[in-house]
Amino acid sequence: MSPPTVTQSPSGTVFIVDDDASFLKSVSRLLRAAGYPVQTFGSAKSFLERPAQEVPGCVVADLQMPGLNGLELQAALERTANPLPVIFMTGQGDIPTTVHAMRKGAEDFLTKLAPKEDLFAAVERALRRNFKEGQQRRRRHELHGAFDALSAREREVLGHVVRGRMNKEIAADLNINLRTVKLHRTNLTRKLKVQSVAELTRLAEEAGVFRAAPLQP
Amino acid sequence: MARALIGIYLAAARSFDQRLTRHLAGTTALIFLMVALFSPLSDCLAEASGGAETSQPKKILMLFSEARDLPGNAMMEQAVRAEMLKGGTNQIEFFAENLDAGRFSDAGQYVVFKDFLERKYAGKNLDLVMVFMARDFGLVGELTATVVSNLPVVFVAINELELPAELTRRRVAGIVQHFDVEGTIKLIFHLQPATRRLVVIGGVSKTDRLTLARIEAVDHLLDNIAFEYWTNRPIAEVRRAVAALPEDTVVLLSTVQRDVSGQQFYTSQVGQMLAASASAPIYVLSAGLIGSGALGGVVVDFDSLGTGAGRLALRALEEHPARSNAIEVRKTGTPMFDWRALQRWGLKQNRLPANATIRYRPRSLWEEHRSLILSALLILLAQAITIAGLLAQRTHRRKAEAEIQIQRMELAHVTRVSTVGQLAAALTHELNQPLGAILRNAEAAEMFLQHDRPDLVEIRAILADIRKDDQRAGEVIERMRTLLKRRNLESKPLDLREVVMDTVDTLQHDALARRVKLTPEIPAQLPAVRGDRVHLQQVLLNLILNGMDAMKACPKDERRLVVRVREAKPGEIEVSVSDGGTGIKPEDAARVFESFFTTKPEGMGMGLAISRTIIEAHGGKIRGENNPGRGATFTFTLPANEK
Repeated sequence: MSPPTVTQSPSGTVFIVDDDASFLKSVSRLLRAAGYPVQTFGSAKSFLERPAQEVPGCVVADLQMPGLNGLELQAALERTANPLPVIFMTGQGDIPTTVHAMRKGAEDFLTKLAPKEDLFAAVERALRRNFKEGQQRRRRHELHGAFDALSAREREVLGHVVRGRMNKEIAADLNINLRTVKLHRTNLTRKLKVQSVAELTRLAEEAGVFRAAPLQP
Repeated sequence: MARALIGIYLAAARSFDQRLTRHLAGTTALIFLMVALFSPLSDCLAEASGGAETSQPKKILMLFSEARDLPGNAMMEQAVRAEMLKGGTNQIEFFAENLDAGRFSDAGQYVVFKDFLERKYAGKNLDLVMVFMARDFGLVGELTATVVSNLPVVFVAINELELPAELTRRRVAGIVQHFDVEGTIKLIFHLQPATRRLVVIGGVSKTDRLTLARIEAVDHLLDNIAFEYWTNRPIAEVRRAVAALPEDTVVLLSTVQRDVSGQQFYTSQVGQMLAASASAPIYVLSAGLIGSGALGGVVVDFDSLGTGAGRLALRALEEHPARSNAIEVRKTGTPMFDWRALQRWGLKQNRLPANATIRYRPRSLWEEHRSLILSALLILLAQAITIAGLLAQRTHRRKAEAEIQIQRMELAHVTRVSTVGQLAAALTHELNQPLGAILRNAEAAEMFLQHDRPDLVEIRAILADIRKDDQRAGEVIERMRTLLKRRNLESKPLDLREVVMDTVDTLQHDALARRVKLTPEIPAQLPAVRGDRVHLQQVLLNLILNGMDAMKACPKDERRLVVRVREAKPGEIEVSVSDGGTGIKPEDAARVFESFFTTKPEGMGMGLAISRTIIEAHGGKIRGENNPGRGATFTFTLPANEK
């Protein structure tokens, strides 16, 4: 079995967190041998306090640790700007803990004796997910910037447009004339760089603007 | 049964002790003991003797022709009384008088005596007269003609004269006893065949002459024994002469009422005087002389005569009017010896005739103290049985204790296995840790080896780590194996720090999973204790697991468990396990160490019970109490190992 090549997968660092120094060292060796950049931490706390929080990658963490345990680490990570996917490793997994971890968005749940292929596959998936989620986060960030550039009236008009209302209706509702509505719409499409109402609606949804929010009359 | 035996034994032993201190040979206490032991029997006897008849007693007059206190007469009187009162009756009244004819021999004495008797017994209504005489039948004749004219008469006569004709016509019964001189001479020959000379010593009174005549009648029977009569020498002289008799000579003492010098004697007195100085054994013809120092002879047996006379008297009283003339003549005597004289003359008892009576043999210890010996034996027997019983009981108890010990150890083992079972998840985790590290290291090494230029430094480090983790896994397995092994309590010097740390290590992962902070507090300097490592670990496991169970409902950051070891006082180590859990309910406090008492749904209720057994087997104590704040502390002590 040849190690997966880094070029095929999105780049990222594997952060390993385990209170068992010996196991920590062995896993870090294995992943280094497979070509991953690796950083190791002896506790959840030291990991959460690491510098360069924005570095992409994934976490391989022991479930049972003194202080913060694996699940608590995951919960804490979720609240940060860079919620890295977590792969749990445990000496002995029990079903309730596994279900709980997976539900909270754990990438995978492996025993410490799992085949290394499973570990590599999980790391690959996690890195890819981290990459994808990173892209989505960036896109959403851009969209938010674009939407933030809209004026209040433009945003009002946009709200009506994405709900599929005609210009005439919008003019009546907002008590402005039809030409002004058309002008706002032109500005919207220019600022948001869209061609059609359909595209406009998709973007608005993507950015989470006006999502499912009923308009106030 | 055993208790009853012990009771008897104690009573007997107590009584035995008292007797020994008071009077060793006495049997009073023994009789008391026997009475106490067999009181139902003695009650019966009392009743039987209580039912007596109340009719008029029979009155018997006993007349003695010679002195009543002559040994022969005394013997006869006693035997008559014994025979006649044998049935336990008190219905016979005895009177006794003596003529003492040997010393008061003139005819006038008869008259005085007769007159005396007539006056004395005039209103007595006698039923029977008994006459004991050594001389002639005149007395019977005289008396029966007047004083007791119509009464039945029983007599005993020691001579061999013709019975007067008038006696045969009257209501008379009696025994005539001859001196058995012939038997005595044959006995001498048989017993001392070397005898060549026989010295006959006798008196000169009428009775004495009669007796001598009997001897003279047979002195020719044995050719090789020469008879020599020393009847004309005063006793004082005879006494000196017998001291110088040669070895082949024996003495035959006839009767001596009076010697040639006119001195009056009792023959028994003479016997005593001669025996003390005689250089030859003295043979006699009368049982009354046995005991005076004489060797013996075929003698007149006065006991037998008295018994016979008594029997005749009883019959005479019953058969009223009695059949006349039941007169028995006894020509032979009874061989009788003085044991002390036999010893003095060195004569073997086995040469004596089979029917010989031996007097004055000191009673053997058995004869003397038979009941004492019996009671002592009884006590010994009871004691032996008691001891055997106690020994059997002890053996039984030892066995039972050993069995209990084995069962306890097995139970300890079972609960240990169950405790280790509770830890299975934690132990698996603990084992998977090094195993996982080994696997990852091995996989990493493989991958490094596939690189173009393998990093050998790295691979070497990996191999070192693999070995280290392998050791670690081995230690975990060994720890479990030790706990699971079936074993007996063994006592070795132990470092309690090691024991506690080992236990804490075993439980650390379980504690982690339960989010319990498990903290050992052990001083750097600690005396060693003596005990069994595994069993003490079991106690610690129990206490720590209990503590962690008690904190299930606590907020996570309050789940703290401290294992504290300290030297409470010199020579005593104290180990305490404190939790912050629910504590002991007051109503449970007294029962927590009982078997099968548990507050947990899945608990077996053996943990603390076994812990207490183990700690007590170590000579320590265990207790549990609630903390001032929250939770409980279980503390046990162990004696420090003495060096």
